[in-house]
Amino acid sequence: MFISLARAAKFSLQDIIRNVWLSLVTIIILVLAFFSVNLLLSVQVISKAAIDTVRDKIDVSLYLKNDSAESDILALRAQISAMDNVREVIYVSKQQALEDFQTKHQNNPDILEALRELDTNPLSPSLIVRPSDINKYETLITNLNRLSSPIIESRNFDDQSLMLQKINSITDRVSQAGFVVSLLFIFITLLVLYNTIRVAIYTHRTEIGIERLVGASDWFIRAPFIISSLIYTLIGLILSSAIFYIFLTLLQPYLEAFFMNYSFNIINYFQANALQFFVLEFIGAALINITASLVAVRKYSNV
Amino acid sequence: MVGQSGTGKTTLVRCLIGEEQPTEGKITIGDWDITRLSKNQIPFLRRQVAVIFQDFKLLPKKTLFENVAFALEVAGKSGDKIRSIVPQVMKIVGLGSKMKRYPHEVSGGEQQRAAIARALVYQPKVLLADEPTGNLDSINAQEIVDLLKKINEFGTTVVLVTHNREIVNRLKRRVVTLHDGRVISDQAVGKYSL
Repeated sequence: MFISLARAAKFSLQDIIRNVWLSLVTIIILVLAFFSVNLLLSVQVISKAAIDTVRDKIDVSLYLKNDSAESDILALRAQISAMDNVREVIYVSKQQALEDFQTKHQNNPDILEALRELDTNPLSPSLIVRPSDINKYETLITNLNRLSSPIIESRNFDDQSLMLQKINSITDRVSQAGFVVSLLFIFITLLVLYNTIRVAIYTHRTEIGIERLVGASDWFIRAPFIISSLIYTLIGLILSSAIFYIFLTLLQPYLEAFFMNYSFNIINYFQANALQFFVLEFIGAALINITASLVAVRKYSNV
Repeated sequence: MVGQSGTGKTTLVRCLIGEEQPTEGKITIGDWDITRLSKNQIPFLRRQVAVIFQDFKLLPKKTLFENVAFALEVAGKSGDKIRSIVPQVMKIVGLGSKMKRYPHEVSGGEQQRAAIARALVYQPKVLLADEPTGNLDSINAQEIVDLLKKINEFGTTVVLVTHNREIVNRLKRRVVTLHDGRVISDQAVGKYSL
């Protein structure tokens, strides 16, 4: 048994080296297949992160009266924090609001000039409420509307509610479409892999016949092909991982620019899950390749 | 064994190596009934009944040595045994100096010798030669026939299937003539008579 396995491995390596061009083509197709799957995966990850960022930015602001006492504001803040479905309540003081306003308009001298002409700070303090579950947004609005406090100056949430519905329907559609496209893509990749291995074995069809003629058992004919497809899969996976890593390092600066303040690092994401992806992709591709090998060898093993 | 094209010579050979099964009748080699062999018994039959063909059927990506060694490797013979048997057999067929060549680097006669060496490593009871000289010029063909004769003298039954009149007449051995799938003559010392 051991000697047969060693021989199968020897034949497999001999075959890979002596048919170097065919081996190269097979490996390149495998690299492309893995790369596409990884690319698809990153598109999913990025779009999910983008959706999260958008949802994260959804909040409602309660504008408070200009002369509200600090203690009243903090009390109101505590009251809202205790409500259901509230992730956090951020208190933006008058001073903070002014600073934010100035930073936001730092490139617009007219506005800054107008602000300077006013002696007092015209901005009112506010409380920014972030929901913990975006889908229960409506109840939060109802609760906030029910809130009665003398320091609340305005609460108008209608716009947000409409916008939220739109965002929800868009993000849902994006993830549905992404899912369908992924399935289709994976199916195509599997077909390409399957046929690549079949073509590689097709070129060996006379040899398979001869091996049988000389008295090789089915297992002895198949084993080298199975070992070869495992080797191809491993080399393809290692190469594609290396290329993909380079690709990600090139991509990351653009993603940082896109996500701005939201911390999202796709390299970290892939590094954290590297082992899992590697093992799953290897098993998936190896299963397909072994199936293709077995089917093809069976087909050509009649002289 | 002689006969015109399409008369069933190759079908007979295929039946003898278990590649095809006869619709009726019985095939026995020694005491072994091989009429209805199961698929996993065929490799064992191939080690008793070796066969060579007109187109040599060597593995193109293996050297002549590896081609011959392959027949032993499939049966799980040890590396030591292979390294001692193969060079001996290759010397017998006259390929002692060309063991490291690939099939496309040697002549047709030499390829057929390698195929014969591969057939011989098991010391088979029967060697089937299906038109072994069909692709060779007359000098190479004669050399192959001489080699087959030598193998026969060592004790292996050689079934030579051919339609080369010259070879049959010079051999002066038993000649079985097939016509339309039937034996029409079987002479102990025969001539090509079609």
